[in-house]
Order: sequence, then C-alpha cells, then structure tokens
Amino acid sequence: MSIYFDNSATTKPLPEVARLVFESLSGEDTFGNPGSLHRLGVLAERDLSASAEKISSLLSCKKEELIFTSCGSESVNTAIMGYVHQNPRAGKKIISTRTEHKASLESLSRLEKEGYEICYIPVGLDGKPDLTALENALDENTALLTFTHVNNESGSILPLSEIVAIRNKKNRNAKIHLDCVQSLGKLPIALSRMGVDMASFSGHKIHALKGFGLLYIKSGVRVQPLIIGGGQQGGMRSGTQSPYLASAFALALEKATEKIEENLSKMTELRDFFSCELEKKGVSILSPKDALPYVLNVSFPHFQSETMLHCLEEKEIYVSTVSACSSKTKAVSYVLSEMGIKREIAKNAVRFSFSRFNTKEEMQTALDAISMIYEKYMV
Amino acid sequence: MSHSYRTIILARMGEIALKGLNRGKFERQLMDNMRWRLKEFGAFTIVQSQSRIWIEPKESNADLLEDQEVAQQVLKAVTQVFGLVSASLVRRFSGDMEDIKKQSVQLTDDILSEHDYKTFKVESKRGNKRFPLASPEICVDVGEAILIAHPELTVDVHEPDFIIYVEVREDLYVYSEKLEGHRGLPVGTAGKGMLLLSGGIDSPVAGYMMASRGMQLEAIYFHSYPYTSERALEKVKDLAKIVSQYSGTILLHVCNFTDIQLNLYKNSPQDMLTITMRRVMFEIAEELANKQGCKCLITGESLGQVASQTIEAIQITNEVVKTMPVFRPLIGLDKEETCNISRRIGAFETSILPYEDCCTVFVAKHPKTHPQKKHIIEAEEKLDIPALVKQGVEGIETYKIERTSK
Repeated sequence: MSIYFDNSATTKPLPEVARLVFESLSGEDTFGNPGSLHRLGVLAERDLSASAEKISSLLSCKKEELIFTSCGSESVNTAIMGYVHQNPRAGKKIISTRTEHKASLESLSRLEKEGYEICYIPVGLDGKPDLTALENALDENTALLTFTHVNNESGSILPLSEIVAIRNKKNRNAKIHLDCVQSLGKLPIALSRMGVDMASFSGHKIHALKGFGLLYIKSGVRVQPLIIGGGQQGGMRSGTQSPYLASAFALALEKATEKIEENLSKMTELRDFFSCELEKKGVSILSPKDALPYVLNVSFPHFQSETMLHCLEEKEIYVSTVSACSSKTKAVSYVLSEMGIKREIAKNAVRFSFSRFNTKEEMQTALDAISMIYEKYMV
Repeated sequence: MSHSYRTIILARMGEIALKGLNRGKFERQLMDNMRWRLKEFGAFTIVQSQSRIWIEPKESNADLLEDQEVAQQVLKAVTQVFGLVSASLVRRFSGDMEDIKKQSVQLTDDILSEHDYKTFKVESKRGNKRFPLASPEICVDVGEAILIAHPELTVDVHEPDFIIYVEVREDLYVYSEKLEGHRGLPVGTAGKGMLLLSGGIDSPVAGYMMASRGMQLEAIYFHSYPYTSERALEKVKDLAKIVSQYSGTILLHVCNFTDIQLNLYKNSPQDMLTITMRRVMFEIAEELANKQGCKCLITGESLGQVASQTIEAIQITNEVVKTMPVFRPLIGLDKEETCNISRRIGAFETSILPYEDCCTVFVAKHPKTHPQKKHIIEAEEKLDIPALVKQGVEGIETYKIERTSK
C-alpha cells in the first residue's frame, strides 16, 4: 500500500464524494443548468442552493456572502485585484508578506505595475509576520491586507486575532483577505467572527474535487468580478455553476468539520511523534513548533530535496519538495528563504503534509524507509 | 478548388549531386526516407528528376496541400529529411503566357497580404524549349504584369524583398519562398552509431549531426533512479523523439545505472568518480553497440567544456573503447554554437528543463581535471570493472522511439 503524505498538494476524494459525483453525473435529471427555466434547471438550482446553505452554515456566514469559483487561485485573484479595482478611493497601499502563495504574489505584482504600493512585512523563523512592522506600515492609505491563514510550505499559523486588532486600531476601513486554502477543514473557521472581509478556499485540499474554489466576501464589501458574462451568482462570477462540484465540496467540508478538534489533537500527537523520531535521525525540523500539525517541513542532511523525494517515491511514499505548483523551477523554496533558513538547509527541504486519515503505522513505515534510504543511497 | 492551380512541393538535393558512381544509392535512400517521412501526412507521388524532387499529393488526397497550415507542416517535414538544400511550395498549372502572368500576380497578391514587401524580381527557367518566349522575355512580361497590378512595388534585381520564380516545363510553375533544408546526406547511407544520450543540450545535437552525415542512430541513456526522476527519463525520451524527426526511428536503451554508480562511489576516490563512471559507461555502450551492430559511439563532448572533457580526461575515457571509433562532432564547437543548433532543431526548450540528471548528484567538488594513467589505475584498484559492465548491459531496457508529432 502506498503512503500519501502530500495532502497540501492535493487530497484523495472521499469515497462518499466519489459516489455522490458518480450519481449526479449519471442521473437522468441531475445534469441541468441551474439557470434553465425548466424543471431540470430548477432541480439543479435547488441542489446548488442547498449546498450553499450547508457550506454557509459550516463556515458561519451568510449564503449570499459565498461565491463559487473554479479554484483557490481564482478566488485569491478575484479578492485581491477585484477589491482594489472596485474601490479606487480606499487607498493605494496593500500589505502582505513574501511568503504568500503565488496566486497572491502574482496578483500583487500585477497591482504594483499598475501603481499600487505593496508593502511586504518581513516574517521570522516562525513564519509569522512581524507585528510591529505591520503596525508601522498600516496607515490611512492602506486599502487591503492579504495574508495566508496557514502557510502551505511551513504550516505556520497566522496570528490572525492580533492582526485584526491592529487593523481595528490603525485603520478600520482597511480590508483583510485571508487565504484559507490550507487551513480549511483543519482549523475551525467561523467567518463572521474572525474579523476578515474576504477569504479564499479550494475544494481539492479537503478531499472534494479539483475544479472547485470558494470565495467569501463579507456583506457590504464590494469587489469587481474577474469573470464576466451571463451574470450568474449576482454578477460576481459568471459562468454556469456546477451543482455536483458544489455538493461534493459541501459534503467534504461537512465530513472535515465533524471532528475537527479531535482530529487536530490526534494529528498533533502524530506529528510530534514523527518529528521527534526524525530529529533522532539527525533530520532538521524547519516547520515552527506551533505550526499546524498537518504540515511538517524538514531538511535531510546529505540528500537534496528531489533525491529524497524520489527515494521515498521508490518506496511508494509520496511527499513534496516545494509547493507542487512551482516544483519545476530548480531553486530553493522562497518561503523558507524568506523565513531566514539558509540555502544549504533549504535545498534539502522536504514537506510531509498529512490528512486526518494518515496513521501512526504509516509514519513508522516512513521512518523505517528513511533509515533504509540513508543506508542504501547516502552519498 | 477556387484557384486554378495545384500546390506541390519542389525539393532540391545538395551534396548528393557531387557523388560519382554511387550517386544512385544515395538518391534511392533519400527517396525512401522522404516517403517514410511523409507517410503520416497522406499519400504522395514522389518523383526525382536530375537533382530535384517533385512531391505531389495523390488523387485520393489531391487537395492536401491547398490547406496552408498542412502545406507548411509538410514542407517543414520535407526539409527535415537530410540531403536537401531547400524546398518550396510550388503552384502548378497549364496554359500560356497569359496564365503565367495571371498566376504570378495572384502569388504576389498572396505574398503581399502577409508581408510588407516593397521590391521584387522575377527569375525564370525554360525547360520546354518549344515555349514561344525565352527566359529573359518571360521575366520582363511577368515583371510588367506584377507592376501593373501593384504599382507600389519596384524592381530590385540585386536585393529584392521577394523573388517570383517561373518555370516552364511540360506544365507551368510559379513559386516564391524557399525553406532551407538541413543538408547533409540521407540517413541510412553511413551505417549505424550508438549515441550516449543524456538529458542535456549537447548529446541530442551530436546525434543530429551524425545523422546528418547519413548515420542511423541508436541511443543509450544511463538512468540513476532515485537520484534521477522518472521525469528525467521522460525528458530523454522526448529528446530522442525530437532527434528522430531527422534521423528516423531511434532505439533507446535505458541502462539502470544506480547500483553501478553507488558501487563506484563507495569504491573509488571522489575526485576520480566522474572519470571512472564515464569509463564504465563507455564500456557498457561499446558492448551494447557491438551487440546491436553499431559501428561507432557518439558523444556530445566539447573540448574543455567541463572537467571530464579536458584532453587528459577524454584520452583516459577514450582508451577503454577498443573496437570502434568514438565520434565527438561537437568537439570544436563553442557552447553558443551548439545551443544555436539545438534551437534550430527544436530541442533546446526540452533540453533546458530542470530535472536532476545523474551527472549532477555525484559530482565531486573538485574533480581531477588532468587525470593520469596512474590515477586511474589507483582509482580502479578495488573495482571489478568487467562485472560492472556485465551488470550494466544486462540491466538494459529498450524503447522504440518514433516521432509522433507532425
């Protein structure tokens, strides 16, 4: 049996999800366009609406505040660019860090070319932005703050309540966008109580399907749509919605939320075991101590990232080197560099990312495999 | 068909024309290769006449070349067959001087709709001596017709922006652009060679260059999984596929090199590792080459490019090959020149994809750049080379690589 420790890249869809999708795709009256006026359209619309209802209740927000997109990147692009474009008088400054996902960084760099001032707050070894620097940077001219809830490479968790407090103190009009792609289903998320104005999510990271993303826009916040056309979703995101992708997401989110706290403490235990055993082998742990336990970034002495990845792959253990989306460029991770981790260490970095379905036995198997790899392949 | 001509292809032979008594053999091979290369596009009648080849779609797909895009693809494929200087899309029609003028003007219209040209000239060839006008007169008449239709153009006989060629044979022909061919000699006229193919820029170019001298190719790649990835192997297959557009089918032999490499790593000094490794690779390649009926090894080495390509290092790796020459067509080329060829044959973008290949993981910080005989004797003291070679040859998996893209 193979061992999948690359859940931050993508996850295996739940069997329930696969069943639901199969039934939806093969049904006689479940394929309608939610915009159609006939019965099939009504059924599809009802299905879609039920999913939105369920998702909004799981995320503690209003149904109208949710927009279905095609992926996390689309949600992030829409939030960042759409907000500042729609609100030109909100200010010309955007605050972020250099450890964001590329979907954010590329949006910001495009805005910079348009004349916006992007202020990147430095992060520490713990992956968290320097709050004093943030307080100094945040001014009347700041339109938007965009941060990642849980970093995809290091697992470090954003000190969100502190950031919200700083925003409230310095400039209540500045909006906050939170990239929740990695935290969804792993940390409790209650949008109405978090103090954020926009948040982005992705389906395939929570055992739902690729091709589905979600964008939360708090009531009253105005955002320019990225995709225009038939005016679906109140004109916020045109394009025919996919009821089965939405219901797959709703179901997967429900399953992930059920025992979220229990899973989190179980995973903390497992991660502690795994990282402790790795340290005994001389492996350096790069993820901060208080990181989300589902992500563990480590550096293997004597093994370049890709070599270790393939050594583990040979034993059917799947991990990542840097964020899978950018793994074709042969540079060390910009996230780790930004955290102040030396190149020599970062070039050997491997990310293990877990799901609630991973077990201690799998971790033990991986540890044994690593010992064998050192014996056989160390050069 | 809305127009009154038929598009065919005219290709011109190069070096073959200089051959003496065995010229026929080269020509036959070229025609065979051409038929093979064009098979995927449709059915063609391919006729050779003097040092030219006329390629015409058969009745079953008579309109094949009337689609501009297809015509360009076929033309490109034609020029990829070694042995040709150039090829052109030619419009064939019948009639008299009036038709020649009409077709020449129409061709000019088509050219000007795509290019912002200002000057032109007309060249003509009259093979059919019964045609009432001589070549210079045809040029003058056609030039005049074009000038009447396009008064904005002027004639420039020295450096025209474009040339209209007119040919009078049994039928009449007009054409303009010539696409340069890859020259060389037809593959299959110079035996078969074993190319040491890595995932880099140089070796595919070396293979291409030997194929351009008429040599058929097989290739060997040394795979060191998990030090190199499955993607690195995919990349090598992609490169072989690109070279095969020119060379024809390539048998790619993938040698599982991991255990051999680890053995070398553990049992020979670090600073000689690249040399001992290359010596074993050469021996494996030579044995395989003999088994496969190849008459030489081919590498992408260029003098002084890296530590293992100093003259001393080359001498010391070369000496293990006892039964055949090792050809290094890039030996005197600058890296930039090699990159240019790589770009021209369409391999560059694939070559520079960044997957680790076996050379990078094991490279010593300070490899010996001027190894001597005594160093290698020392380095190989603890190695059972024949056993390693045997292990290498036995662990080979072979893939048949054929170009699939048009």
